[in-house]
Amino acid sequence: MASLEIKNIRKSFGSTEVLHGIDIAIDDGDFLVLVGPSGCGKSTLLNMIAGLDDITAGEIVIGGETMNDRHPSKRDIAMVFQSYALYPSMTVEKNISFGLEMRKVDKAVRKQRVAEVAQMLQIEPLLKRKPGQLSGGQRQRVAMGRALVRDPKIFLFDEPLSNLDAKLRVDMRTEIKKLHQRLGSTIVYVTHDQIEAMTLATRIAIMKDGVLQQLGTPQEVYDEPNNLFVAGFMGSPSMNLLPATLVDTDAGIAANIQQSSGESINLLLKPSENHAQWIGKAVTLGIRPETITDPGSAEQNTGLVTQIDCEVNVTEPTGADLFVFTELGGEEVVARMRSNSGATAGEQAAFSFNMEKAVLFDQDSGERIY
Amino acid sequence: MSRPYQDSGVGAQRFWRVLIYTTLLVFALFYLLPLFVMLVTSFKSLDEIRQGNMMALPEVWTLEPWFKAWGSACIGLTCDGIHTYFWNTIKMVVPAVLIATLLGALNGYVLTKWRFRGHRWVFGLMLFGCFIPFQIVLIPMSQVLGNLGIAGTTTGLVLVHVTYGIGFSTLFFRNYYEAFPTELVKAAMIDGAGFFGIFWRILLPSSGPIIVVTVIWLFTNIWNDFLFGASFNAGEGAPMMVALNNLVNSSTGVKEYNVDMAAAMIAALPTLLVYIVAGRYFVRGLMAGSVKG
Repeated sequence: MASLEIKNIRKSFGSTEVLHGIDIAIDDGDFLVLVGPSGCGKSTLLNMIAGLDDITAGEIVIGGETMNDRHPSKRDIAMVFQSYALYPSMTVEKNISFGLEMRKVDKAVRKQRVAEVAQMLQIEPLLKRKPGQLSGGQRQRVAMGRALVRDPKIFLFDEPLSNLDAKLRVDMRTEIKKLHQRLGSTIVYVTHDQIEAMTLATRIAIMKDGVLQQLGTPQEVYDEPNNLFVAGFMGSPSMNLLPATLVDTDAGIAANIQQSSGESINLLLKPSENHAQWIGKAVTLGIRPETITDPGSAEQNTGLVTQIDCEVNVTEPTGADLFVFTELGGEEVVARMRSNSGATAGEQAAFSFNMEKAVLFDQDSGERIY
Repeated sequence: MSRPYQDSGVGAQRFWRVLIYTTLLVFALFYLLPLFVMLVTSFKSLDEIRQGNMMALPEVWTLEPWFKAWGSACIGLTCDGIHTYFWNTIKMVVPAVLIATLLGALNGYVLTKWRFRGHRWVFGLMLFGCFIPFQIVLIPMSQVLGNLGIAGTTTGLVLVHVTYGIGFSTLFFRNYYEAFPTELVKAAMIDGAGFFGIFWRILLPSSGPIIVVTVIWLFTNIWNDFLFGASFNAGEGAPMMVALNNLVNSSTGVKEYNVDMAAAMIAALPTLLVYIVAGRYFVRGLMAGSVKG
């Protein structure tokens, strides 16, 4: 177990730079999730930590030691691959112990360690089988066993759950989380699935086009997104983003939204010193679906709740909740209501906007306005 | 409504099927005819052959020609049969096939998993080597063998066949390993396996089908080679095919067709056996590269 520092890492393939200076530092025992859309450079970054890709510029430090020129096998890391990468000609037991064998660990010790790991992952009955005879979930466990048995400083996971079906994915997600809690190991985990990122991470790094967008705890990146990209990427359904203008009202500074019908709506904002300079300017207002509710579910204690009647376009029942779609300022807006709130498509319904956690963005740069 | 259509469809299908199978059968018999003549001739006595019924089965079956071809037929001035030459060929084929296969596997491994600048060129040139006609290299090759001091030896022939073999074996292994998941190599690297460790422990054990393909290909080619054998090693150490030629050309007055045929059958048997035993792996291996996983 060890801390990890990624210092101004750059990666170029020929003349194209794909990573433009990434800085991330995590502590011993942290669970870092690198998340972003395809092609954002997250897997490249992971491969560089593993030593499978060359570092063009910058430094990777594990446990206080620079790793740049060290062979992957000398970095004391273990990696779980998307395809599991189990050696097809070896039994599960051999697969798990191969790394130890290469490190010339004594045979008796090997056997004991394999047995421990197999018990932890509940794969004891599979030890004599070949990977071809295993199901997807079993292969996944074996791949994790192969990493666990080495007891490395850092575990690297490269989209390990993306080949599993939906139910198994959720189960394995929980197991990985349990494993992390039990072992307290440092983990770097790559995924494109923001729910996986939210549920697993202690620290999330959101990347786009080779640039780090935000690094923080799951709650931080969810509640305080740095920019429009992070706001739209994290959360499902994603944050509602509406064009608005800041106006000064008697009650304080509010976001003004012009409906296509000509109606004008003022949503009172949480007071902030910086908002004054944006008065009269166009901004983007970000509101999470769960803060737009039916009036009965709204938290009334903040004093920042505004109730508006809008026409319901579509409703999507999920069982637990009812997602209600309407239009505000020319943009589609999703609200999360109780399943028995009675909102019906084509009719008017009351929407309660809780502005406590609403965020503002500069329309031009996409950066957050605090 | 659709009934008549269906019936005529089935009828037409059957007609074509019968036609196709009949044609195939006729061609198969036609191509098997020389083999048949060889076989029956090799079991006949010379007297029977002289009667001229080439296609007839032997009236009296005899193994005498086979024993003679193996043990006492005259090749040039010595009358020991072809058995010494049979072993000559084995001594040439086995090392040549093993070395060429191993080098091909190693080349394929490097060309797909340890790519270097210009790897395409290297592979392209090796492919080019596959298509150079044998005759062109005879003189330069004899010079090289002479300079190395292995002219006229089995070792020399092994070298020649390995040189020609690695072009194809590299092609086979390269295409097979191209579809081999690179993540496995990365995983082994992190696990601490080195260059050869990955090769021996990860890649080779998964290469069964393509090894079979390469071995069959090389074995038949090298076993059947006449040109290099005749050019570089025509004496005591000559391979089977050269000896067969000499046997047929060694005239002791009477042309012993039955012995010639038996010797030719002996010379062809190993390649036939290899095809019968490993033929299905051959097809499977050729297909393996095209399917992922």
